[in-house]
Amino acid sequence: MAADASSAAGAPVRASWRSDRDVVWLLTLWIVLSIIGCLLVALVWGPHMPPGRASSTAASQATDITVLATIATPVVIGILLYFGWALAFWRQKPGDETDAAPLHGNIKVQATWIVATSAIVLALAVYGTVELIAPAGAGAGQGPQPIFKNGMPPAASTTSWSPNSNNILQVQVIGQQWAWTFRYPQFGGFETTQLALPVNQPVQFNVTSLDVIHSFWAYTLGVKADANPGVNNVAYTTPNTLGDFQVRCAELCGIWHGAMYDTGEVLTDSNFMAWTQTESVKLASVTKLLPPYALTYDPTTIAILGKVNTALGLTGAGGGFYNPADPEQP
Amino acid sequence: MAWHSWAQPLDALRRNEVDPVSLPARVATLVVAFLAVVAGVLWVVFDIIGPQPQTENYTAYAKNGQVNVTMMTTAQTTVTNKPDWVSYFIQNPSTKQFDHTTYFAVPANTTVNVTILGYDGCTPLRNPLWGQVAGTDGNVENVQYYNGKTLSAAQNISTFDSWANCSVQHTFAIPNLGINVPIASPTTLSENNNLCGTSPCTAANQDQNSPHTVVKFSFKTPSTPGAYRWQCFVPCGLGYVDGNGGPMGTPGYMGGQMEVQA
Repeated sequence: MAADASSAAGAPVRASWRSDRDVVWLLTLWIVLSIIGCLLVALVWGPHMPPGRASSTAASQATDITVLATIATPVVIGILLYFGWALAFWRQKPGDETDAAPLHGNIKVQATWIVATSAIVLALAVYGTVELIAPAGAGAGQGPQPIFKNGMPPAASTTSWSPNSNNILQVQVIGQQWAWTFRYPQFGGFETTQLALPVNQPVQFNVTSLDVIHSFWAYTLGVKADANPGVNNVAYTTPNTLGDFQVRCAELCGIWHGAMYDTGEVLTDSNFMAWTQTESVKLASVTKLLPPYALTYDPTTIAILGKVNTALGLTGAGGGFYNPADPEQP
Repeated sequence: MAWHSWAQPLDALRRNEVDPVSLPARVATLVVAFLAVVAGVLWVVFDIIGPQPQTENYTAYAKNGQVNVTMMTTAQTTVTNKPDWVSYFIQNPSTKQFDHTTYFAVPANTTVNVTILGYDGCTPLRNPLWGQVAGTDGNVENVQYYNGKTLSAAQNISTFDSWANCSVQHTFAIPNLGINVPIASPTTLSENNNLCGTSPCTAANQDQNSPHTVVKFSFKTPSTPGAYRWQCFVPCGLGYVDGNGGPMGTPGYMGGQMEVQA
């Protein structure tokens, strides 16, 4: 420790609490602990990072989280180490009423801090952009005209599909209070409450809603896309693990929002094709009653609705479900 | 003198020698604030969300692996302070009265024979998928009114076209069990204009003969106890945004819970 000095006003002032020995110890400990911490985060914790590796997008997200956690580790360790060191060794001694040393700017420290943090932030910006492109949007909804499609086959046909063709499988996700339904336009357009996907086949989710805003969240597949009424929100993924996965609504959408979940399943190609055949037959009678497949649906276009509401004297909504003056309060 | 008497405490205050607020005043403020927060939470729970509807317990009435549950739909709820809301009622298995509730309990691993008296008029389904019966025995419901026609006798029906004939008034769906039953509506719009005007639609209210359908179906409860929510998929909360507010968003009207008991 440096010796006490006196301020201009005559009050005793401590010149500094630091010594070169402190700096050497702190730097040494920080480097050693950071190396250990980074290895633990990257190699031990990394393989278990959420959301797992059940799809291309999920695996990419798990890698991204591992990279970010590894980069953050030295920063966290540095802060905690400095904090702990200050508490342990730079405490004011009993009876010591001297003021702390005046602070002065340090060009070297400031320049190092600005350059280092700028480099880290810019590098992460580049990394993040690349990671958006590589897994075709990272599993997030990109609106009706996706920018990031890297590696995804084109929608060569919207009326037929076979495994391993250069034609992406399209699955429409329809949110409604309070259930998810799924439509398969390439298999006759049947709609079902079950979500099945073939393993190792690229999938294009077309996500929309019939009423309020929902959010389609297939957590372990690393897919999350808002379901907005009147909007087609496209998200991509390629499942790579057979078995069940959970689907939840991630947007508060009303009283039964918490119950709006499903269990999807990733099947082998042959089982998936058999499933589509079974569902097509089972749902044939209702499939022909569905509106023609479209990327969005407007419930106010139900032809009979205006007639029914007029007959019942319910003309306020102009023949639609929605009154322009809604929401009406009780 | 006046200046002097004010200046002394202020000077002391600036020197941090006295507290601006006394300890009793601080404690009182804290207690009042705490009680205000508690009162606010209780108000939201009991007045905004409302009390949980009563449960009609059918478990003791099961016999030979079966139990009969009777419900009713009405175009209004005149027994509440929301008379223009549509609602379900459930028959009390003991008194046979229709109570204003949507909560009921049935035993596990039991066939539930449901009868729904549908006294409401039609509303087209927003999603025609809900026009298909699913999850019941044979994936059918038994009804005499079907797609705008009166059948000579009740038949098992699997699919309704609510867009062509406005033949559905509500649905009874338990999503987690894959159950969906469209509730057929009376045959014509003219009958809809003669719907019963009080609720429940019973002999006591001289409304039991108003236009209505009788929908019957059966399903088997899971073998393990649990609570399963059920709801209507017709956006029948007219006057509310998306038709899903009001009775659609309030327990005890168009959605409820089936408790499966051991």
